[in-house]
Amino acid sequence: MKMALQGIRTGAFAVVAWAAIGGLTRADDFTLEPIQVGAPQRIEVFPPAVTLAGVREQMQMVVTGYYADGSVQDLTRAAEFASTNAEVFTLDGSVALPKADGSADLNVTVGGTEASIPVQVANQAAPQGVSFEYGTLAALSKQGCNAGACHGSPSGKGGFRLSLRAFDPELDKLTLIHEDFGRRTNSLEPAESLLLLKPLMKVPHGGGLKLHARDPAYEVIRDWIAEGCQLDPPEQLRVVKLQVYPPSGRLLKRPAHTQQLAILAHYSDGSVRDVTELAVYTSSDEAVASVTEGGLVVGKDRGEAAVIVRYKEFIESSFVTFVRDIEGFAWNNPPTNNYIDEAVDAKLQQLKFLPSDVCTDEEFVRRVYLDVIGILPTVEEVRTYSADTASDKRAKLIDQLLERPEFAKFWTLKWGDLLRLTSKQVGGDGVYKYHRWVERAIAANMPYDQFARELLTASGSSHLNPAANFYRTATDTNDCVETISQVFLGARLQCAKCHNHPFERWTQDNYYGMAAFFNRVQRQNTPKPDETFIWVSNKGEVTQPRTGKQMKPWLPGDGDVEQAEVDDRRVLFADWLTRPDNPFFAKIEANRIWSHLFGRGIVDPPDDFRDSNPPSNAALLESLAADFVKSGFDRKHVIRAILNSRTYQSSFEPNDFNKDDAKYFSHYQPRLLSAEQLLDAICDVTAVPETFGSLPTTTRATQLPAPDLVKHEFLKIFGQPERQTVCQCERSSESNLGMAIQFFNGPLIYNKLRDGNNRFRQLLNQQKQDQEIITELHFAAVNRPPTEKELAATLNHISSKDEQIAQHNAETDTKVAAMNKAVADIRKTFEVKLFDAKLQTITEAIRVDAKTALATEEGKRDEVQKYLVAKLGASLAVSAEEVTAALDEAAQKIVADTATQIAELEKLKQAPGSRRIEALEDVCWALLNTNEFLFQH
Amino acid sequence: MYRISSLLAFSLSFSIAFSAIADEPVSFRKDLAPILLDKCLACHGPKKAEGGLRVDSFERVTKEGDSGSPGFVANDLETSEVFRRISSADESERMPAESDALPADQIALFKRWIEEGAKFDGDNPAADLITIVPAPVHPEPPAAYRYAMPIAAVVFSHDGKELIAGGYHELTVWNPADGTLIRRIKNVGQRTRALSLSPDGTLLAVGCGAPGRLGETRVFDMAKGEVVKVLGTTSDEVLDVAFSPQGDRLAVGAADGTIRVFEIPSGSEQLSITSHSDWVMALAWNADGTKLASGSRDKTAKVFDSKTGELLVTYSGHGEAVKGVAFHPENNDVFSAGTDKKIHRWKISDAAKTAEVAFGGEVFKLSLSGEFLFASSADKSVRQFEANTQKQLRSFAGQQDWAISVAYHAETKRVASGGFDGNVRIWNAEDGAEIASFFAAPGYETVAK
Repeated sequence: MKMALQGIRTGAFAVVAWAAIGGLTRADDFTLEPIQVGAPQRIEVFPPAVTLAGVREQMQMVVTGYYADGSVQDLTRAAEFASTNAEVFTLDGSVALPKADGSADLNVTVGGTEASIPVQVANQAAPQGVSFEYGTLAALSKQGCNAGACHGSPSGKGGFRLSLRAFDPELDKLTLIHEDFGRRTNSLEPAESLLLLKPLMKVPHGGGLKLHARDPAYEVIRDWIAEGCQLDPPEQLRVVKLQVYPPSGRLLKRPAHTQQLAILAHYSDGSVRDVTELAVYTSSDEAVASVTEGGLVVGKDRGEAAVIVRYKEFIESSFVTFVRDIEGFAWNNPPTNNYIDEAVDAKLQQLKFLPSDVCTDEEFVRRVYLDVIGILPTVEEVRTYSADTASDKRAKLIDQLLERPEFAKFWTLKWGDLLRLTSKQVGGDGVYKYHRWVERAIAANMPYDQFARELLTASGSSHLNPAANFYRTATDTNDCVETISQVFLGARLQCAKCHNHPFERWTQDNYYGMAAFFNRVQRQNTPKPDETFIWVSNKGEVTQPRTGKQMKPWLPGDGDVEQAEVDDRRVLFADWLTRPDNPFFAKIEANRIWSHLFGRGIVDPPDDFRDSNPPSNAALLESLAADFVKSGFDRKHVIRAILNSRTYQSSFEPNDFNKDDAKYFSHYQPRLLSAEQLLDAICDVTAVPETFGSLPTTTRATQLPAPDLVKHEFLKIFGQPERQTVCQCERSSESNLGMAIQFFNGPLIYNKLRDGNNRFRQLLNQQKQDQEIITELHFAAVNRPPTEKELAATLNHISSKDEQIAQHNAETDTKVAAMNKAVADIRKTFEVKLFDAKLQTITEAIRVDAKTALATEEGKRDEVQKYLVAKLGASLAVSAEEVTAALDEAAQKIVADTATQIAELEKLKQAPGSRRIEALEDVCWALLNTNEFLFQH
Repeated sequence: MYRISSLLAFSLSFSIAFSAIADEPVSFRKDLAPILLDKCLACHGPKKAEGGLRVDSFERVTKEGDSGSPGFVANDLETSEVFRRISSADESERMPAESDALPADQIALFKRWIEEGAKFDGDNPAADLITIVPAPVHPEPPAAYRYAMPIAAVVFSHDGKELIAGGYHELTVWNPADGTLIRRIKNVGQRTRALSLSPDGTLLAVGCGAPGRLGETRVFDMAKGEVVKVLGTTSDEVLDVAFSPQGDRLAVGAADGTIRVFEIPSGSEQLSITSHSDWVMALAWNADGTKLASGSRDKTAKVFDSKTGELLVTYSGHGEAVKGVAFHPENNDVFSAGTDKKIHRWKISDAAKTAEVAFGGEVFKLSLSGEFLFASSADKSVRQFEANTQKQLRSFAGQQDWAISVAYHAETKRVASGGFDGNVRIWNAEDGAEIASFFAAPGYETVAK
């Protein structure tokens, strides 16, 4: 169990590490389209005024063109920049560099349009040292030295350890300056420093080439060393804000596909510095866009990407949308059922994807049953629905399903995964009580804010208040922080336990600040089995392990909670969490519901909200969340809205204009049924239910309270989670060989196909005709009648069995004839054969002193007998009579054995029509192996 | 800003500028091995073997890489893959990758050597290149230090009238009475990490090197200040050197994890112990020279039989790098110290810990002198202990940065310590009074002011 948990955690870590070690991306890695400047109405130069107050300052300029048709493009690459006084400042491409104190103008010309920007240069006579934190450590981050897979790993690499993404400057100071007698730096000959020689590969470096002398980071690190490896003075100005230009929302249309970024660090004194060169860039979707080390965003395909910009502990992002003309594309104004379709369509239209048509009634009925109640519609339900001619029958069906008891049971399974409902965690009794509590909450449609509050603030006996089991599954304060943040805030916070989150704004302080809400929870076992009493102490504080600081309770967005001396700090947290304007709460759940219904979240994975993992349709998520809040956190309301949307009811079949789309919901994405759905579906198709240990026989797989109550091989193979983590990723959707084997010839399916009382045997017993049985099986498995082609092929398969029977019988006859001939041959020549082959039998038979024997083929027998007597008589002291008897017996046995074999072969001969049942097993097997059955579609 | 750098020019330890005299055959050791080490080893060595080719020994560089062709084949320029790649006109395959091509005169050397039969002029074709290239003549030290270097090693002369400290490409010799500079000993590796004076005071062993590039032990004639021998060249720093109490052997510990024992005065290698899996950072002999103790970054301290090299005991109690070792005067126990901020005393018989002394920072090399044990620490203190009982006798204060080295002169009762900031302090061990304090970096104080 522990191992599995490790595996999941390590797996997640590995992904992060991989993302971190990708080398720097350079502009010449891409083929850039030339900029078609055209005739911009106006140009805008950023920043509108430049101050360069130090010899190390510079400024990345960004020029944007605005056009008559409303379009916008980045003209930085095409613009001409000129200084009115090269003694004050000069230009290197689009970067302004200071020369001497004074002021001058920067003139920009592009597309016949001009602009002029004032430039102030100051402090050029004074030295400006490299800042340890904002220069050196930023440079090391830029080159990836302190990435998780490299020297930023907890034990470092090759004896050289840096803090992950420079979150701990104290440690880095020690490592870079003092450790091993200053071996890594050489202030007398800075270029000879090991810190530079290694990444330059001038001396062997396990990490390979990570730095070039032309990289800005090289100069920063070299100069810092040359200046004597100075630490930042206490009065060092702090960066308080990172600004990314342009901010989110830029839309570029091919041929425009690049965007130069300018990254400004705002300091505590209000000054601003350009850190474009040292900021670290990542793209949320490398298929859509990449970012070069110099901050040039390069669009590759249509879609949206969030560019994540990191500088020291600051992380900001900017969304950029890339579109292009698609030949033959014309928006067809599809009908919209509600606000969901409007939001989806707006995105599709922008990116030039065309939504698929609405799915058929047969597809819909299957889809909505599986999504709402987890099980297939019965044959009768499909027929009744198909026969219904009402125009609102889909909406009616949705309403009916949402009121069925199976709805609550099925959605309890989903929450059971998140709440880690297992008998191991909450005990054999506890698991039923907790499960029932969740099921009742869902059945009663308990508002989600109340649901969260009851879990988070649960106290008392876990028997009397089963919600208190929440604090049995979250076994300690850290577990609480990680569980609550992942389930309710959609943030994977585990990283921040030991260091600032490498890709997110969550810091180690935040982690322990959140912990301060939950560290007073006490868990006490009572004398009753399986009962824990949860209560809250009135004291106890959290200490940040790295800084040793006592933490105040901290709320994302709100900051430290000053008035925290209350009876139960959890209430403060729950109050904040369930506030209608909480930026996380409603969105996370709305997105989770969406992901349950589409197999993919608008943010995906659905429990991994972060800037670097933006929603594929932010407006859609906003409006869903707003609707959810407005409805009073009514989960059924949101589910109903989604199910009634045209988007949900889209066909899974793509068209020419959306086949490349996998994330904007232009068509329904088929997905493998979950383990439990699949098992229930197999049971329903074969009409052979599965029983789970001592649970009531009516219990379905989708209604199991916990995976560890009854271990089920089939469920495990198909990805049933053990519920060891709160991660939705624990439910695996990966396909594997075990799955294929289960469906090819696994015991579960085999036994159900062979079951004497299964669906088609019952139908046979009812004297149904083949065609009727086949139709029934199709309705049961794929919720539609067979097509003509399917029907013909299936009937043909059944009739082909008779041909097989005839062939089989003929083959049997041939075998029998051969065996009869063999017996005859033995009889003719048995003296030789017997002597050679059956000597052992004979001598043994002799010893048992056979007294009587039947004679066959008198004459020859005498000869054998004579020979045997001569050969054996002396040595074995047997009489001629005894040999005779033994011989007879042996021969008889052979003849008798052969006769038995022949009789058995004859028995295997089949009567015409006798293999119909086998043919039907084949048909049912084949249906269960179709993608149409295996997939939700 | 880089006046000193330009003065020192390119201080790569191997001087690769000189080229072979035209009528002498090209020497692999002298002419080519330094080029291979400088330009090729980073990608074609033990850490990375791009294309399946390694150049860290003659044997390896003449073996086939992934290309199927050997690096060099006598009299065959076409099949000599290394030659083909360094002389290729196609930038995508020319070596060194992503760098400028080798200068034409260097390529010509390779060509001539292949045409002359690609002969190996060393003793052992399997030997690491670094061990067969001729010992370099090191560059001049800075005339005046712009920055003071950490003083990782100090030692008193036999008579106590001189204190020798490690410098940059030099040793500086000071008057311990007043901190005045007496002389400068040149032709030393970039940084000195260890100093050991022979028992008779005539020889000075210097463990030095350039981080990540070179390590060597230079034995100097103390009186003349000239190099007598260069021993045990490796590819990374030598971290400790220790003459045996009898003066007949010299033990060397290096960043390659190896302990080497050389016979003195011949300089022949007697032992090579590869028991440690990481840097060997400290060495100590027992009184009769039969045992050798070591401390390593592999978090262990070990004791070996100094004749056979047999491992007698491993002590893992620190759980962190071990940076100092010393034998207890009775020779049954060992003191070891390191990053765990403690001195441990433990038994050689069973590695059982019997005592420990805590510091406020990591503890560096230990120095045993008669009945006293000295230690220096990152907590800036230098401490004197009664070696028999590890009772602290005195703590010498004054260092403003980590105290990273310590030496004691018994007759004059002087304690000297080098600091990370380049400062050297000398105290009177009898009363703890500071005698002198100076930066062991000629010209530094003037430059800095």
